[in-house]
Amino acid sequence: MKKFILKRLLISIPVLIGVTVIIFFLLNVVPGDPVALMMKEHISVDVVARVRAQMHLDDPAIVRYFRFLGGALKGDLGESYKLNRPVTSLILNAFPNTLVLALWAALFAWIVGIPAGILSAVKKYSLPDNLFMGFSLLGVSMPVFWSALLFQYFFAVKLRWLPVAGFEDWRYVVMPAIVLGWSSAGIIARLTRSSLLEVMRNDYIRTARAKGLHELPVIFGHALKNSLLPVVTVMAIQVAGLLAGAVITESVFGIPGVGRIAVNAIQARDMPLLQGAVLFETTLVILGNLAADILYAFLDPRIKAA
Amino acid sequence: MLSMALLLVGVFAVGAFAAEKVFTIAYNEEPQTSDGQMTTSCYMIPMNVYDRLIECVTTAPGKSALVPGLATKWDVSKDGKVYTFHLRKGVKFQNGEEFTAKDVVYTFDRMLDPKTKALNTDILDFVLGAQDRMDGKAASTAGLKALDKYTVQITLAKPFVPFLAIMASPQASILNEKFTKPLGNKYGLSAKATCGTGPFILKEWTLNDHHTMVANPNYFRGRPQIDKFVVKIVTDPETMRMLFEAGEIDLFDCDFAMSQIPYFTSHPKWGKQTVSGPRVGLYYYSINQAIKPFDNVKVRQAFQMAVDRKLILQKMFYNHGQLENGVMPKGLIHYNPAQAKIEYNPEKAKALLAEAGYPNGVDMEIALVASTGSQWQKMSEIIQAMVAKSGFRVTLKQMDEAAFYATRKEGKLPMYTNKWSADFNDPDNFFYTFFGPKGTVARSYNNNSPEVFAALDKGRSETDFTKRGKLYAELEKKIVIDQAAWLPMFSLKHIYVVQPKVKKFVVPWNGWSDFPVYETRVE
Repeated sequence: MKKFILKRLLISIPVLIGVTVIIFFLLNVVPGDPVALMMKEHISVDVVARVRAQMHLDDPAIVRYFRFLGGALKGDLGESYKLNRPVTSLILNAFPNTLVLALWAALFAWIVGIPAGILSAVKKYSLPDNLFMGFSLLGVSMPVFWSALLFQYFFAVKLRWLPVAGFEDWRYVVMPAIVLGWSSAGIIARLTRSSLLEVMRNDYIRTARAKGLHELPVIFGHALKNSLLPVVTVMAIQVAGLLAGAVITESVFGIPGVGRIAVNAIQARDMPLLQGAVLFETTLVILGNLAADILYAFLDPRIKAA
Repeated sequence: MLSMALLLVGVFAVGAFAAEKVFTIAYNEEPQTSDGQMTTSCYMIPMNVYDRLIECVTTAPGKSALVPGLATKWDVSKDGKVYTFHLRKGVKFQNGEEFTAKDVVYTFDRMLDPKTKALNTDILDFVLGAQDRMDGKAASTAGLKALDKYTVQITLAKPFVPFLAIMASPQASILNEKFTKPLGNKYGLSAKATCGTGPFILKEWTLNDHHTMVANPNYFRGRPQIDKFVVKIVTDPETMRMLFEAGEIDLFDCDFAMSQIPYFTSHPKWGKQTVSGPRVGLYYYSINQAIKPFDNVKVRQAFQMAVDRKLILQKMFYNHGQLENGVMPKGLIHYNPAQAKIEYNPEKAKALLAEAGYPNGVDMEIALVASTGSQWQKMSEIIQAMVAKSGFRVTLKQMDEAAFYATRKEGKLPMYTNKWSADFNDPDNFFYTFFGPKGTVARSYNNNSPEVFAALDKGRSETDFTKRGKLYAELEKKIVIDQAAWLPMFSLKHIYVVQPKVKKFVVPWNGWSDFPVYETRVE
């Protein structure tokens, strides 16, 4: 297993370098000048030229890239053009907020998604099944910005149960976690349902029933563990996805997380900050996938043996 | 028992009496710094944490005056080149240091020091020796001198009349040398790295979330009435509106969501809570003379005539403003209400186009920034339909913000619309910005008119108030009517909605979304 993990980690290094090259290339190809963007309406050609030179933005792209890469290898991601602060500290300060949001969203998705999937499978084509699957479909298909606005309107403006936006205490996490986790809950519910239904058709389930076992032990003792195999994999990848992809939720609910940093960096053509944010989020996704593979191996002995 | 009850009532009464007076607002952009020298927008912190030598205050709706700030009085030499400021004594910075002339010299020299990488050097580049300092050829700025502890002398390379007005802009906020110098480029990046003399102290700052300013008990004009001023960073306008309706913010700035104006102004509760003031600024459409057929003055005049600005003002902006026909909007000194009007006449526009050699009409583009408010797009769509009658076939070109500004800087951007509000109350802030030799290219006008450039230089040094007013009135006619170099649209009132607990809110003199809250009162 150690060899497997080490191999996967080594493979991820060229992936990370490739990502930095792509980002760097894209930001150099698209037009945009970070200093002109900082000055916007107050643009002065002289000031732009002077500040660009002072920030070494006129150096050749290749020089700037290797300067960045050299720093990154030493753990220094440089300074944000716009915010003038170290990229590493900007990301590390924002990450706990993203982490809190993602973990609560994942927890919501699991607590709601798995029981909903089980109930739907057990009572298939019944009213609860239709209700739960409708809920899942809504979660998967409704855009986050829209569900966020609906939640804000009803629970914050009309009912005044929760604050509209911000990030101060637990009350501020409830709505964004549900909105962000809803789509994941929908996927988990649907996957649990289909996987459980498939497992329930196996011979060993029929045998268990033939032996006179009650339905509950059949489901929870025999079927569920095997049916959750693909679900657990998806869950691990989802956590990584939630950590990396909460951009809209963070914007609508005013959460100072990594997603907002990345969006601001793109808009400001803030190369060091964007590189840092993308590198960080790519690492999270790679680690999430790795965790999924390891979990899968632990849960399914056949894979470990292979 | 009775005494216990009275005691309890007393405790609660004192508690209620001592409740913190907090004023909370939402702002749509994170300030990158609290240092006014390092930003060209987001001046909320500089306007409340620092003071300037001179302040510009609202005296009546749409009217302003320059009043003493950290300088109690000032003298200007007869040749208009030497400004001597007599400073207020006994003013303390928030770190306890006394404010002196050395701080003023340090502040302005720091701005010009190339190591600072300041973005606002434009406000000082006319000071004697400024260019050498910016180019790294001098270790200090020749024109900046502390004559004694409380007197500063600033010598300009040549007379520059707007200088006093510029000194009142937030970019000219005064820093404390002892506090600022050791921090280098880290100054202004956190609450701990910020220090002014102003009414509020920056207490807390969480990036992309909020920043909090608290009342400065030692402020030289007296402690502010509010205890705490919180600015939440909210990028989504819909979220901003809901925050306001849920009572989580005390002021809703309609500039961040213009489409909400009819909702708020007609609302039974909020309608009574609106506060508005004129904006010393205008909406405009640029015209790029480097892009054919707009090199032809008749085509430019035809375009001006083809737009029914009044209709747009009525239907899209609910008539909350007035048409503008020049370069100087209402509220600016030397504003000329008698400026010749731009006529709306689509038939005449069509005839002018034919006269210019385009009887079959012309193709043109209007550039739009995809990420900015929808009002720009709507207005341009209306104009697209409107001018078609006169023969202008408009294509709307969506661009991202970075590409927009990069192309504009090169002088290659097609027509676009935007608004400009005064940084300081002087015509130069409008004329030179848009029609000066560099501004006209960097803003994609390319109105390279030597006559205009010469008049602009003359306007900067003309010390006679009446003559200066006449000069700008003539220049305005030349630029807008004779050269048809841009299309001024209208100036709009700036509308804010406040919670009932807000008892006083003063609309800033220029109508910005950044404002001082020293005079604000909340219950």
